[in-house]
Amino acid sequence: MNKSSFHILRVGLAITFLWIGILILKSPESWGGYLQPWAFKLLPLSLSQAMISAAILDIVIGLLLLVDQLTWLAGGLAVLHLGVVITVSGITDITVRDIGLLAGAVVVLTESLPSHLNPFLKNKNY
Amino acid sequence: MTAQALLFTLSAIGISETAYLIKKRILFKDPFCPVGENCLAVLKSKYNKIFIIPNDILGLFFYLACAAITAFLVMDVFPLTLLSLIIKILIGVGSLISFFLTYLQFRVIKAWCFWCLMSAWTIWLMAVILLLSGI
Repeated sequence: MNKSSFHILRVGLAITFLWIGILILKSPESWGGYLQPWAFKLLPLSLSQAMISAAILDIVIGLLLLVDQLTWLAGGLAVLHLGVVITVSGITDITVRDIGLLAGAVVVLTESLPSHLNPFLKNKNY
Repeated sequence: MTAQALLFTLSAIGISETAYLIKKRILFKDPFCPVGENCLAVLKSKYNKIFIIPNDILGLFFYLACAAITAFLVMDVFPLTLLSLIIKILIGVGSLISFFLTYLQFRVIKAWCFWCLMSAWTIWLMAVILLLSGI
């Protein structure tokens, strides 16, 4: 992948994660409305606490992506987080956006993964 | 909300850019210049500091402050009038410093630096958004 394209994708994803984190912190309960009833019953915390935790995770991922530190870890967390979000929110009209974000996060993860962590990527130019 | 989202986006772009320049400077590596060849002439000139603080660090603090204030404005956690005044002062002063630094590139150093111009345009765009939205 072209290095400039990678950085544009990284910063774009970072801004999305940071902004979503801020919006969730503004009104955690209303964002909790996206949760499926079965997922709501599995929560070990109150809805508000769970959404605030998700917002903090979003902000941490966004900050790491933004300053290009531990980018592979941020990419991995983003993939896991978006996987959970798609699972617990179900298939709705806005799922397609999460799929796009998930694809971007997978690209950031695979492109930034240190070669010693992935033997298949030894010939990368990074 | 739209103006705040735009201000936050521009601040985040600024954070990313200044973090990149700081990282390169600390590692003694030359930053990549996507346009032109004179980035280094500007970045390594005697004007790369204001008093003793490197411009990239000042820029990082400026953008971090703008991002944090915009986030607080959205979350409605502090007195809005005070935050609104602080961000206006910050962006106003930032715009003036950007004018001065751009003038230095044009008249004194006689070289253009892609990252410095990008930062200047980012701050001026933030000023335009602030003026048009009346935050």
